[in-house]
Amino acid sequence: MREVVLVTRPASSQPSAPDPLGTLREVFSSSVGMAAYTATTLASLVEQTVSYAVTSAVNSALDRLVPTIADAIIDRIDLTDVVIQQVDLNRIVTSALDSLDLTQLVLDRVDVDAIVAAADIDAVIDRVPIIPLADYVIDEIDLPQIIRDSTSGIAGDAMNTIRRQGVGADRLVARLVDRATFRKGRKLDAPGEPESMSTPPRPEEPESMSTPPRPEEASP
Amino acid sequence: MTTFRQYREAMAAGTEPALELPKLPSDAIAFQGERAGFVSRAVAASIDVGLIVLVVFGTMAVLWLLSFVFDPSTAAGITGGEGRVPPAIWFVLYGYVLNVLYWTVFWATSGRTIGNLIMGLRVVNFRGDRPRWIGALLRALFCTIFPIGLLWAIVSGANRSVQDVVLRTSVIYDWVIGIPGLSRKAGSPRPPGPASGRSE
Repeated sequence: MREVVLVTRPASSQPSAPDPLGTLREVFSSSVGMAAYTATTLASLVEQTVSYAVTSAVNSALDRLVPTIADAIIDRIDLTDVVIQQVDLNRIVTSALDSLDLTQLVLDRVDVDAIVAAADIDAVIDRVPIIPLADYVIDEIDLPQIIRDSTSGIAGDAMNTIRRQGVGADRLVARLVDRATFRKGRKLDAPGEPESMSTPPRPEEPESMSTPPRPEEASP
Repeated sequence: MTTFRQYREAMAAGTEPALELPKLPSDAIAFQGERAGFVSRAVAASIDVGLIVLVVFGTMAVLWLLSFVFDPSTAAGITGGEGRVPPAIWFVLYGYVLNVLYWTVFWATSGRTIGNLIMGLRVVNFRGDRPRWIGALLRALFCTIFPIGLLWAIVSGANRSVQDVVLRTSVIYDWVIGIPGLSRKAGSPRPPGPASGRSE
């Protein structure tokens, strides 16, 4: 929009004598100014109108044309191929997976119970070879040996209980006597190696646990 | 489980038979080989003496019953006390002798009497070996005649009875019975003769 500045001169304060020529000149110049202003305003209006009309026409034309053209272009191009060839999908997927806690996402959003309830467990079980599996387990755990161990273990446990109670009573008596006599513990080391420790060395037992063969006892 | 046949074959092959011995409870490993205290030893001795008393009474009963075979008359009385069995003092002496023999034989052959076996004890000499016959006999005599000597184990600083002090023996905790000949190192040559004790 162009601004038009109208400059007018102040009228002289002193009334002068009528000057027909001057008056005529003033009227003329005012008319010319008015005409110029009007023309300029009109031009501006026309320009705006035309601009608006052209813009809407072009827009409506584009609205019609662009989808058609785009459709035509997309029809002619295999976008999937383009993406597969031009885009590093691995990077995108990896970065997406990195930024997501999938487990938490599933736990938050998926009703696992419902899925399990809907699943056909029987069909899964039908596919599992139960009998061979049971045979394998029984073979591996050696059930007869366990039964033998447990039955022989009951007698051994009873005996061990008695022995343990004996040891406990021994210690109790020793402690009471030691306390009464102000003695600090007993020296219980005995010579030789107990048979309990000289049984065949188990894999985890150090070699020194087995008793070395002793020399013949020399007669005094 | 190792069968006797597998054991014999392994021994014949000169290798260590893989025996499945009773396992030692893990909490009992710490005190194996320590000198046993008074209570265990007293219980073991009581079991032994109880067995001897049973045998003595059994002998008495058998003699009493046999007396009816040789003297069926009831003149000696229904209750059968008089004259049918020897006087009680003989049975006391018999019990003492039996006790000495029992302890001697068991200590010299395995280091354990039945009472010791139940309580997981073993008698060893000053070397830590099974007592020899003479040592076992002396100890059995001493223990039978002077059983009060065991009381010294209560106050002794090393759980030793009077017999232990005099004869230099020890009674140790030894819960698992070793099998003779198995304490050798694997692969070492077997000593000639039948596999016997550890040092004899």
